[in-house]
Amino acid sequence: MIKYTLKRVGMAVLTLLIITFLLFVLVRIMPGNPFPSERMSAEQIANKRAEMGLDDPILTQFFRYLGNALHGDFGKGTSLYYGAPISTVLSTAISNSFRIGGLAVLWGSLVGLVLGITAALHRGKFLDGFCTVVSILGVCVPSYVFLIFLQYTFAFKIPFFPYFFDSSRFLFSSVIPALSLSLFTTSTIARFTRNEMVEVFDSDYVRLAEAKGMYGRGLVMKHVLRNALIPIVTVLAPLIVDLLTGALVVEKIYGINGIGKLMVDAIAGEGIDYNYVLALGILYSALYIGIMLLVDLLYGVLDPRIRVSSGKKEA
Amino acid sequence: MKKFVALLLTAALLLSVVSFASAEGNVLGVMLGTNVMSLDTNLATDGDSFEVIADCIDGLMQMDKDGAAVPAIAESYDLSEDGLTYTFHLRDAKWSNGAAVTANDFVFAWRRIAKEAGEYAYMLDEIGNIKGAAEIISGKTDDLTTLAVSAPDEKTLVVELTVPVSFFPSLMYFPTFYPINEEFYNSLADGTYGTSPETFLSNGAFILESYTPGTANLTVKKNPDYWDADRVKLDGITYQVVGSSDNALTAFRNKTLDVVMISGNQVDAAKKDASLAENLKVTGAGYMWYLSFSQTEKNAQGGMLANANLRLAISNAIDRDNLVDNYVMDGSLATYTAVPPQFAASSTTGEDFSADQGAFADYVGYNPEKAAEYFEAAKAELGKDSFSFTMIYGNNEGDEVQKVAQAIKEDVEAALPGVEINLQSMTKAERLDKMQNDNYDIALTRWGPDYADPMTYLGMWITNNSNNYGFWSNAEYDQLIADCTTGAYITDYDARWAAMFKAEEIVMKEAVIAPLYTKANANLITAGVEGIDFHPVALNRVYKDTTK
Repeated sequence: MIKYTLKRVGMAVLTLLIITFLLFVLVRIMPGNPFPSERMSAEQIANKRAEMGLDDPILTQFFRYLGNALHGDFGKGTSLYYGAPISTVLSTAISNSFRIGGLAVLWGSLVGLVLGITAALHRGKFLDGFCTVVSILGVCVPSYVFLIFLQYTFAFKIPFFPYFFDSSRFLFSSVIPALSLSLFTTSTIARFTRNEMVEVFDSDYVRLAEAKGMYGRGLVMKHVLRNALIPIVTVLAPLIVDLLTGALVVEKIYGINGIGKLMVDAIAGEGIDYNYVLALGILYSALYIGIMLLVDLLYGVLDPRIRVSSGKKEA
Repeated sequence: MKKFVALLLTAALLLSVVSFASAEGNVLGVMLGTNVMSLDTNLATDGDSFEVIADCIDGLMQMDKDGAAVPAIAESYDLSEDGLTYTFHLRDAKWSNGAAVTANDFVFAWRRIAKEAGEYAYMLDEIGNIKGAAEIISGKTDDLTTLAVSAPDEKTLVVELTVPVSFFPSLMYFPTFYPINEEFYNSLADGTYGTSPETFLSNGAFILESYTPGTANLTVKKNPDYWDADRVKLDGITYQVVGSSDNALTAFRNKTLDVVMISGNQVDAAKKDASLAENLKVTGAGYMWYLSFSQTEKNAQGGMLANANLRLAISNAIDRDNLVDNYVMDGSLATYTAVPPQFAASSTTGEDFSADQGAFADYVGYNPEKAAEYFEAAKAELGKDSFSFTMIYGNNEGDEVQKVAQAIKEDVEAALPGVEINLQSMTKAERLDKMQNDNYDIALTRWGPDYADPMTYLGMWITNNSNNYGFWSNAEYDQLIADCTTGAYITDYDARWAAMFKAEEIVMKEAVIAPLYTKANANLITAGVEGIDFHPVALNRVYKDTTK
């Protein structure tokens, strides 16, 4: 198990390193000037480039960047929030996105599970059809459309929730964006839960349990749901990353100072802020790789066959 | 269970009451178009940041409602006879941590601008002509004491210039020149100044109440210790960054915001809507859109645009009224002068420098026949019948820019058979990069005035100026501008004014640029909100006299 873990962690670190290098090179060869200035002289710009070490060989620049990044120093923005270190701006954004994303994951999984179980228990009946329609809607309607609908209805027509995000009333103003973001999770989880449960219902061991006289809540909870949940964990992992990293458009429209909005600002502002694009790219990759690593390791724990088979290959 | 539900409902009701409070009471809700990029006066470069900074910090001078410079932290100032030394006498004012505002706060801040050598450092050397600034900014010396700004005592600031600058006091309301308390600054960790209410000091009308870099929502509240506190009527301002104009309109309708900006295509609807028409107010945004023509050999099919008749033909083919009426639609003004109207008035006569928009009717205007005449002359001179140029424009510089570019293409191709304009869109940063590296034919570009003097526009067209993207060069023009900035006319105000007009005539006669329109902002302001001062230069909105 230790060998397996070490190998997986090593692979994850290596992948992140390669991605960081590729991102670094891509950002450096993008067109445009990192200082899109109309008032600085050529001399001033040259001094600034030299100060930032942009004239050094790319490998030197990369290793310096890597060294700083390992100390949590991602530099400063070139056209975004200049003056403030990226790490401070990023930490606020991460905290906002994670909290709202976390709410969305929680809400989405809970409602999704309930919908899925309800549909599976009433297979082929009206409730099943209803839950299917709801989950298809949830997959088809983009979260920002749902956000605009909620914002218009519950912040404008019935002015109950704040019209824009207000960090001083965090929970209250998180309701609309978290609900909008949770829709996709709700639908995905509902669909998977339903299908998995239906499959498990048809399996031999459930039939055996039924034959032995088990029925009702005990059967569903102990045998059906438990076995149906394992594949759902696989779906949930990337969904969590998606939600934690913030939905670009939702954050922009509702005015949430999160990672998604930061990404939009870094790309779509008057000039592309290379340092922010780079830092955010690394953050996104690290999160994906981290969650995937976690899932891999969890599998090893949940299903020893996976561990054993990869162990055999090592030998 | 029932109790629990009742409790929940009560809590929800209470919360909803709180949610209404954002723009109510004596707090003004104001929309920002973009994020506040920096509250560090030395680093900020955008209008929205300048506005919030000026809410919280006073400079030596401030703008009155007409945009004239009137005393703020400086109670008065003296100018030496040779026009080279300004002595500012400071009033008693306090920072929000209780420290006194002293002359050293200015010395410290100005040295730091020169040392950082950022975007607006040019206000010190090129525009303000402060002695010693150019050497530090260009990196020739790092001895900051060579900047000729000194504090002989706590309440006296002495500034020496290399040449007289008639508009120097009006530079002092520009946020770049605002003071920073040295002791406070040095007590903070690197890179944290101005990133939160705790790391920011006010000496102005308002105190920063909530802010983090990247936030879409920030608030300022009235500063009870402001030296002119009686003047300020608002209890505070809530700023909200709003990304789309549809969202802005809704936020205005449900009273979340009192002051919003709407887009050109919403203006017509607002005029027809009785509930909005009275709230509409069009204000000058200051900046002018124009066409820049590259005149070097390497571009435009071997330097075809170096031909003045060809440039004049293009300039006379564009229907600017059509642009502002049907595409921009927010009250922007069709412009036929190299210096846009309504931002620089003569201090002796009070007359707007560009009041007469017909002054150069021979060279610029919508006149397809004249365009055809210029075009025939150009074809004869160049020995060529057909031309193909690429026009670059930014795709992140406003919704209307794409449409304006398309309309210009149609006008020019219709009036000048044989000319083909290919449109190419890119980010503003890429557009600037192409222009700065002289890698374009025609560019749709803009310039906003940094100070209230025609020179903020005319100064750009001298040989080798970094904003002279066309690489046009004219000895007579260079001489006229030199006379106005460092030579014969610097102490004779009226002669300088006349010389600048003569210089402008050269720009128009040669169609160095083709001016298009001067941008306006269409605002919606809640009924009953009075006294917001709108300016096209430096500080777009000032709230010191605002009541709600």
